[in-house]
Amino acid sequence: MKIGRRAGPLAAAPAMLLLATGFLVPVLIVFAFSLLPPRTFGWTGELTLSNYSTAFTDGYWRNLAWSCMLAALTTVLCLLLAWPAAKALHRLAGHRATAVTLAIALPIFISESVRLFGMALFLMPGGGILAGTLDAVFGISVGTILNTRIAALLGLVYIHFPFVLFPTLLGFSLLPNDQVEAARDLGASGWQVFREIELPLAAPGALTGALFCFVLSLGAYAEMSILGGQAVTVITRAIEQRFNYAQDWPLGAGLTMLVIALTAIVVFPFLRRVDIDRLIHR
Amino acid sequence: MLAAGGSAIGISLFGCGAPEDRRRPLSLLTWDAYADPHLLALWRDATGGDIRYEIHVSDPTSVNRLRAGETGVWDFINLNNPWARKQLWPQGLIRDLPRDRFEPLYREMFDKFAPPYHWAMSEDGHHLLGVVQRFETFDFVVNTDVFSPRIARDEGWDLFNNPDLANRYGILAYEDWNVMDICMGAGIHPFSAKTEEDFAAFERTARLWVGNAKMITTDFAQLNLAIINGEIDAYFTGGTYSITSARLEGIDNLYAVSPSRGPANGKGSINWIELNSAVANPEPHPETLDFLEWITEPEPAYVIANGNGNLQPVSQMAQPEVLARFSQEQLVALQWDEFEERIANAVEYDVVPGYERLYDIYAAAVRIRG
Repeated sequence: MKIGRRAGPLAAAPAMLLLATGFLVPVLIVFAFSLLPPRTFGWTGELTLSNYSTAFTDGYWRNLAWSCMLAALTTVLCLLLAWPAAKALHRLAGHRATAVTLAIALPIFISESVRLFGMALFLMPGGGILAGTLDAVFGISVGTILNTRIAALLGLVYIHFPFVLFPTLLGFSLLPNDQVEAARDLGASGWQVFREIELPLAAPGALTGALFCFVLSLGAYAEMSILGGQAVTVITRAIEQRFNYAQDWPLGAGLTMLVIALTAIVVFPFLRRVDIDRLIHR
Repeated sequence: MLAAGGSAIGISLFGCGAPEDRRRPLSLLTWDAYADPHLLALWRDATGGDIRYEIHVSDPTSVNRLRAGETGVWDFINLNNPWARKQLWPQGLIRDLPRDRFEPLYREMFDKFAPPYHWAMSEDGHHLLGVVQRFETFDFVVNTDVFSPRIARDEGWDLFNNPDLANRYGILAYEDWNVMDICMGAGIHPFSAKTEEDFAAFERTARLWVGNAKMITTDFAQLNLAIINGEIDAYFTGGTYSITSARLEGIDNLYAVSPSRGPANGKGSINWIELNSAVANPEPHPETLDFLEWITEPEPAYVIANGNGNLQPVSQMAQPEVLARFSQEQLVALQWDEFEERIANAVEYDVVPGYERLYDIYAAAVRIRG
């Protein structure tokens, strides 16, 4: 009996140990670094909060605001795209759905940078795939959105769409088709079906996807670099600058802690509200 | 490399095998040329030894890694010229080389490197700190369909001060180099002490240049493509390092420009020289010095010059035997006909006084860009 009661904690111990050493300890080290004087590497300096004050007084709020805004926009756009796509895939259910799902899922296995460079080649003016093809086939000359904020946003949506689609699809799998049919038989409009049946049942999945999307987009950088031409400087780029060329690990660590805190502020209230167990049919 | 790593782990676990098998791989902390698979294969063929490597993020990052205790990890470090003399040697992070063995190698190089070569020696002049090999200027690149090379050379860094070029150029975000270039554009000697007026001029130029840039990226292929597609007409920082692979494919309107004049004692170009040194590893790899000597032989030197597809001059090209290995196309890609002029117009790379403050100004300009 004793072992029975301990079985859960015992089984969880390896994972907890892994999380503690692989996640918690690095975060604590970053936190400790964030309290060191700027541009120092030793642990002997006096502890200070100056990195946090610099983060708020030196214009980093602007980069944090860009990161948040782009992450929010990406999340909304991905949700708007994922909802009808998931609904269609749920209805298709079968071989056709599998083919479409594979077409969306397979690119995830390709490096993000490679996909973004592919997108850059597609958008490039002159000899780019889109501009070159339109010019060669139709004689239409077009410009490009490459190296703009719009291109960066397009890249964010392109990369993060599957992270919203698949949890949303999981949410739709909770939706019994006969319930929708019954509602229709009883005269419910499309809007009523959406509001009364689809939304309550599929929303947890979509929100889980939205959470993934927001958190991943908040930490994204390659999209702004490869497609955006640094037309916008996000907080991850500012952090990278502090750790790399500035050799200012304490300020880089301070900025990192702020991003972690912001992520926690978004994630924890969400986790309290969404019933993940129900979503995974447990 | 996986095989090499796997072998080393296996041996340490089981503690068996011939003495040669127990040898750990020679470990290089280096710029890309020394990580070229052809070079690693040549070394393996010559000695049977394996090499593992890591490519620098930036010079100061790697210097800090050694400071942080990674001398026990690496055997060889390849950095730009000032670091060995001014940081690594004074802090005991590299070993000196036996002069009787290595100074004769300098006599096989261009006259510029005649021993005792300044950057290869300790401040007191007694210790030889490494072997120079790759060297070149690194300033900016133009599209010769838009700018004649002669005009670009004469215009120098003022090209980027010209409002007509706003939104028609890019920045290769090698940011320590960007700081030096902006100094040049602001009329400041990058390697001299800065006054408050200098910092103010730097800030004005940094905001102008960063704000007016069409694109900023760490990938020079993207910038070359942007020139080819007519998005931009020029970019800094750039040089033969960033364009030779494209020029070898026949895109010869990409052109490396080294300004013919500037604020660095009349010079406007910057000449980097890589110095290869032996890390002060407490358990030195027995083949470190052999490797440092071997890379100066004609075949390895040629492979290094072509390292990872970015053709760059090496000091051994002073030897007819080495120079003869380069095809006419390669020499054209390297703009070899004007190489001496480029080097003559360049100030040698050095540590930038006031770098931290300058970099913070530059980084702030990047942050407010978008």
